[in-house]
Amino acid sequence: MSQNVQAKAESIITRARGLRWQVGEAFHDRAIEALYEEATHIAGRSVTISGERPRFNFDRTLDRLLTSRWTGFPIMVLLLAAVFWITIELANIPSKMIAGLLLDTVHPALKEFGTWIQMPSWLSGLLFDGMYLAAAWVISVMLPPMAIFFPMFTLLEDFGYLPRVAFNLDFLFRKAGAHGKQALTMVMGYGCNAAGVVAARIIDSPRERLIAIITNNFSICNGRWPTQILIATIFIGALAPPQLAGVVSALAVVSVVLIGVFFMFMVSWGLSRTVLRGEGSTFSLELPPYRPPRILQTLYTSVIDRTLIVLWRAVVWAVPAGALIWLVSNIHIGGRSIAEIVVGGLDPVGMLIGLNGVILLAYIIAIPANEIVIPTVLMLTVLVAKMTGVGGGSGVMFELDSAEATASVLQAGGWTVLTGVNLMLFSLLHNPCSTTIYTIYKETGSAKWTTVATLLPVVLGLVVCFLVAQVWRMVG
Amino acid sequence: MTPGEMLIGGIGLLVAAAALFWPDRGLLARIRAAKLRTDQVRVEDALKHLYDQESKGLTCTLDSIARELGFPSKDDTSLVARLETIGLLTRQGNVFRLTPEGRSYALRIIRVHRLWERYLADETTVSESDWHIEAEKQEHLITAEEAAALDRRLGHPAYDPHGDPIPSDSGELPEVAWKTLTSLKEGEAAGIVHIEDEPPAHYAQLVAQGFYPGLQVRMIEQTSERITVEANGNEIALAPVLAANLSVVPLPAGEQKAGSFRTLASLRPGERGVVSGISPACRGLQRRRLMDLGVVPGGVIESEMNSVTGDPVAYSIRGATIALRRQQAEMVFIEEIEGRE
Repeated sequence: MSQNVQAKAESIITRARGLRWQVGEAFHDRAIEALYEEATHIAGRSVTISGERPRFNFDRTLDRLLTSRWTGFPIMVLLLAAVFWITIELANIPSKMIAGLLLDTVHPALKEFGTWIQMPSWLSGLLFDGMYLAAAWVISVMLPPMAIFFPMFTLLEDFGYLPRVAFNLDFLFRKAGAHGKQALTMVMGYGCNAAGVVAARIIDSPRERLIAIITNNFSICNGRWPTQILIATIFIGALAPPQLAGVVSALAVVSVVLIGVFFMFMVSWGLSRTVLRGEGSTFSLELPPYRPPRILQTLYTSVIDRTLIVLWRAVVWAVPAGALIWLVSNIHIGGRSIAEIVVGGLDPVGMLIGLNGVILLAYIIAIPANEIVIPTVLMLTVLVAKMTGVGGGSGVMFELDSAEATASVLQAGGWTVLTGVNLMLFSLLHNPCSTTIYTIYKETGSAKWTTVATLLPVVLGLVVCFLVAQVWRMVG
Repeated sequence: MTPGEMLIGGIGLLVAAAALFWPDRGLLARIRAAKLRTDQVRVEDALKHLYDQESKGLTCTLDSIARELGFPSKDDTSLVARLETIGLLTRQGNVFRLTPEGRSYALRIIRVHRLWERYLADETTVSESDWHIEAEKQEHLITAEEAAALDRRLGHPAYDPHGDPIPSDSGELPEVAWKTLTSLKEGEAAGIVHIEDEPPAHYAQLVAQGFYPGLQVRMIEQTSERITVEANGNEIALAPVLAANLSVVPLPAGEQKAGSFRTLASLRPGERGVVSGISPACRGLQRRRLMDLGVVPGGVIESEMNSVTGDPVAYSIRGATIALRRQQAEMVFIEEIEGRE
């Protein structure tokens, strides 16, 4: 009996082996075709379609307008500019309110509370000046723009406009070996790189998705906009006559953004032809029908899914960074704080690439959040230059009310126009913040690509700053 | 140091680093490649060569092995002697034959080679002319377990992208009834089933002329200098030496593709067509994606609108609007074109 069964099984396997060569290559295709045929057959029997889609003509007209040779790009530029403008204008108000509350009211209150319960001064410094201040800073700078930018962006997405942007811009990205949808993740990156990296999920082709993730850092995120604007005002705007200062500094910031776009394309192009050469690649882009955006649902999902999750990650990373910042400024070895020793050591390298030790140290310890780079730079400058009467003491990050006051501190710290220019470039081209690095690791699941995404921009930044510094010194 | 010296120094450093670490051409990559050419590689290449010659009905001599492997024949003598002692080949005078063990070893290498080519064709964007070169390296590196895993992952493919059958894990190969392209009579139609991938220059030339396994051709004219065939609606002329590298199977009368070979890319906005097939040159991921979207024979596709630059183009496929790039649209054959109602 069992022998019989075995013999039968053998004969089936032998027959299958023989048939394997005969079914040929197209048999997967035939299977899919048969499935579609069957599905069409069933649908034809049981689905009735009544009339044309009512919004069909509206869709067609709108599509013609949004994708035509003459109106497509102007409409796109206007819409995106409007989104950025509204974000910057509107975010200022709540940002100031939150900063007033968390930094100017709660922080002194916490310090007083510490004194009242007779907390040792090092502990109150570490907890309130270090950890609390860093977290508060990140929230006040990051929350308002994200809470405004992401809902607007999501509304455009929900309406169906964003896929048309990808459709129109695909020709540029195709030449760089990337996907048109990278335009969207890139714009998302102007809000927050971590969110931009997550948004790369919309790209379903493996190679293009990795490119979008690795190059997202070339979009300056909302933690870096304030740095760009402040430094452009202080160092570049000041070079122009007063009535033009505003325009010139705005142009400087726009140039940095464009340099970022340039690097994004160059690096995409380079990656797709070197390390990512050969990764699988496909293209398809669905253009969904337009529909009225669901405003409440959009607000909810963009605030919860995008803003709060990203903010939470940033705060989690900012707390230890705050502690570290406080510690390096307050632990003394041989009469000098660790910060002073490290800055002294980094200064020659910093000078070589047209920056200084303070900036390099600030970028190392403020990896968790770009928001706290400028406060850290100011604090370290005051600490290292032993200035008095500015800021809140060693380890306490601060910002000044006016650009002039900031300029005088920085100039006292030995900053030149070159330092300003290179800081703007380095702010564009450096490693992503730790939240983004962590997100890249989560999204790619690969230590290799996370390392590439982390080191590539910082190496580029060092090279670019070095070259600019050398050329500047030769010419100047 | 003056700034000028620093600049030159910095650039020099970059150039040096590039010379050292550049993929494929850098010093480190070259050293690694040289290390790979070990004894094992020579043994396996020799076995493959023997198998290849035998399957073509040719005999194998020391000279032919030396020509194939490209090293002095003194080394060959010792190599062949070793193969003989471990029982992979037998010798009769000047002629070598594989033992059954030798043949099964050779088939294992060939299996990995062809599986790897299939993988490169389906799952990656490695260019067609590099498939063979990459597989030549990988065939010596991949273990039996890795090959089995790859086979599973690819869905147990039967043929490599050149049309060669992939030996099964028990070393089976089908009998093939191929003819060469040159054997077709004028007017006769056939499907290309195999393109010989060696020598690489000839293969690259054939690929550049648009040949791929699965392409349907019709013989137009054959002279001693030139062979002209019709494929995808175009006339292609090629030298007889190239045509000899193309194997074909004549098509049964019913399966011959009739009429015009238009592609989706030729539709203007507002026009629609019925899909008649997807080019076999569209493989793996790309092909699955198109079919997942509903691009299957019999489906109606309408060109909806061009993007600002005219590429990509949005098509209406089964009720959804999907943008495809020109390079993809050129892979989809259509017929029965009509304008908008």
